[in-house]
Amino acid sequence: MEIKEKFRELSEEKEGAYMAHIYYGDPNEEFSLSQIEILVKHGADFIEFGIPFSDPTADGAIFQAACERALRNGITPPKCIQGIKKLRENLDIPIIVTTYYNIPYIAGVKAFLSEIKEAGAQGIIVPDVSLEEANPLLDAGREVGIHVIFQVTPLTTEDRLRRIAAAASGFLYVVNVEGVTGARETLADSTLKLVNRVRKHSDIPIMAGFGISKKEHAAAVVSAGADGVITGSALGEIYQKNLENPEETLPKIARFARQIKQGCIKGYIRRLNAQNISYEEV
Amino acid sequence: MVKSKRLYEQQRLPDKRGYFGKYGGQFVNEILMPVLIELDENFDRYYPTSEFQEEFHRLQRDYGGRPTPLYYAKNFSKSIGSKVYLKREDLLCGGSHKLNNALGQALLAKKMGKSRLITETSAGQHGFATAMAGRALGLEVEIFMGIKDIARQASNVKRMKLLGAKITPVKTGAGVLKDAVSDTLREWTSCSRTTHYLMGSTVGPHPFPKIVAAFQSVIGKELKNQILEKEGRLPDAIIACGSGGSNAIGAFSSFIDDNKVRLYFIEGGGGNLDADNSAAAFQLGKPGILHGALIQVLQDEYGQIKSSKTRAAGLNYPGRGPQICYLYDTGRMKVGYAFDEEVFEAVKVMCQTEGLIPALETAHAIAYMLNHKEEFYGDEVIVLNYSGRGDKDLEVITRRFYGD
Ligand SMILES: Cc1ncc(COP(=O)(O)O)c(C=O)c1O
Repeated sequence: MEIKEKFRELSEEKEGAYMAHIYYGDPNEEFSLSQIEILVKHGADFIEFGIPFSDPTADGAIFQAACERALRNGITPPKCIQGIKKLRENLDIPIIVTTYYNIPYIAGVKAFLSEIKEAGAQGIIVPDVSLEEANPLLDAGREVGIHVIFQVTPLTTEDRLRRIAAAASGFLYVVNVEGVTGARETLADSTLKLVNRVRKHSDIPIMAGFGISKKEHAAAVVSAGADGVITGSALGEIYQKNLENPEETLPKIARFARQIKQGCIKGYIRRLNAQNISYEEV
Repeated sequence: MVKSKRLYEQQRLPDKRGYFGKYGGQFVNEILMPVLIELDENFDRYYPTSEFQEEFHRLQRDYGGRPTPLYYAKNFSKSIGSKVYLKREDLLCGGSHKLNNALGQALLAKKMGKSRLITETSAGQHGFATAMAGRALGLEVEIFMGIKDIARQASNVKRMKLLGAKITPVKTGAGVLKDAVSDTLREWTSCSRTTHYLMGSTVGPHPFPKIVAAFQSVIGKELKNQILEKEGRLPDAIIACGSGGSNAIGAFSSFIDDNKVRLYFIEGGGGNLDADNSAAAFQLGKPGILHGALIQVLQDEYGQIKSSKTRAAGLNYPGRGPQICYLYDTGRMKVGYAFDEEVFEAVKVMCQTEGLIPALETAHAIAYMLNHKEEFYGDEVIVLNYSGRGDKDLEVITRRFYGD
């Protein structure tokens, strides 16, 4: 399913979007596949499919450990791409690949994007590619039909925000805390400000991520105007506590996904209410 | 002529986007872009001013002990067969060239209104220099260091602690420099408003390679004056060890345009040139992106970065800085390596000929000369950039020679 179509569907249903981020192959491929299945069944609208990298400098301790484990257990980019193909056999929602730039660079940027496109992905996030270095990725993305998703942060200046919004496609990834991925207890006010700042430049869908670990976080962010939320390391935290038998944590993961999705729905309704359109809070 | 002039400019300075040829750039998360832009603007604003230059010069001279001498190593020269001078960066306070850069960046950080310095260290030389500069300029210091390096460079850890620096052990990966750089970058994303990342070598995203090269260029400037005074001519060759390349670029800086001066860069050969046993990125690596820049880097077929290996902690990094990569690509600089065993032998030779204990890093350049005497002729004048002293390696060296 195309990214745009998913957002249209969600706005018709009056729901905020939920994207769940995992690193594939941690601790093994089978678990990743069942984890994704559970996440989708219990509320995820997008899957952010991480291809592990040896030096994930924009990720916090949880995902760093995830990458290290997955690589130690033998995961490779080709195996990840096979994983996307497997998922596509009975999964319709958008899949966004996340990886660090050396992976597509070594494979050849265009060849890599073609491969993930063919496997069934819709977009790519490369957290260590700044707007300044993004042209090869943007050119290949346009040619192949893969959306290049950009991140913006509270520190992004007005001028950069405008230029990034102009280059972005699919959606914009709003990083709501000054820091790397990691579950945080409170949600910075800066998120809300940042969403409003982006809206001045673009009506591209906005997904807010980094540090979202609770229903209330999701509701707050969506009611402030984000089209959806991204959770990552909070999920990793759940199954990393039981790496011997990660399958045992799947019920917890299901509950987590339901909570976040509920927050997305609640936040959406709160926002509509604030706009003086009355809807029952469910 | 015009073309070669442009080439020299590219070899000395990156383009606006931070590239030396195809190497360099700014491969970082958007979180870090505003602070890198801020850093570049502030460096260009402060560095050329006479006020900054005077303060920097005063610190280098009165605090650091510059200029460092250029020593004619008569006895060592006999073992090579040509006239060898040592540029004595080991005599800079702290024991290595690292203080040049640490003082410069700490001063810049202060001008920018930052209150805290973070950095990583492997040999502990850069960490120690940063701890010193932090104290001298009144800035808080936190240092990330791999657990393996903490163990093998214990005396430098003690020195840093004595100066009040906070040491944060890095357990991820192999617990070495690469992992410490990653963790420092992570830390920086959460505190860049108040904190400066004092990059230790000519690596990382633009503008770091440019800034570190500028602060280390004092080595080459002094060297040029000193050799002209002593020999009345330029040297035939300059040889330096390195990983990121800061001591080498510093020493080369005043000679890049002089094609007659041969430049040698010696990297860590490790145990041997088999995969996973070496730090020789020019021999075993290929272009890739690590820690914010496109560089020559050790990696597997899929682009996963490999850990480097060498007994010299300060050379134990899988990548070469962008400027060093470019100097190599354009043929301006010759690249060599030395194996751990050869390096220990070189330490012995320097101890016995000159009574100087070199750092294991520095001993790579010494080993290269000893093993490639045929490249240096009898009437030639060679300058070896003697980047650091070996006190920090004393335990490793004595254990190697005398057992436990
Ligand atoms: C004495 C000494 N020489 C050389 C180096 C290598 O660094 P660079 O390549 O930046 O000169 C180090 C690094 O720690 C060092 O301590």
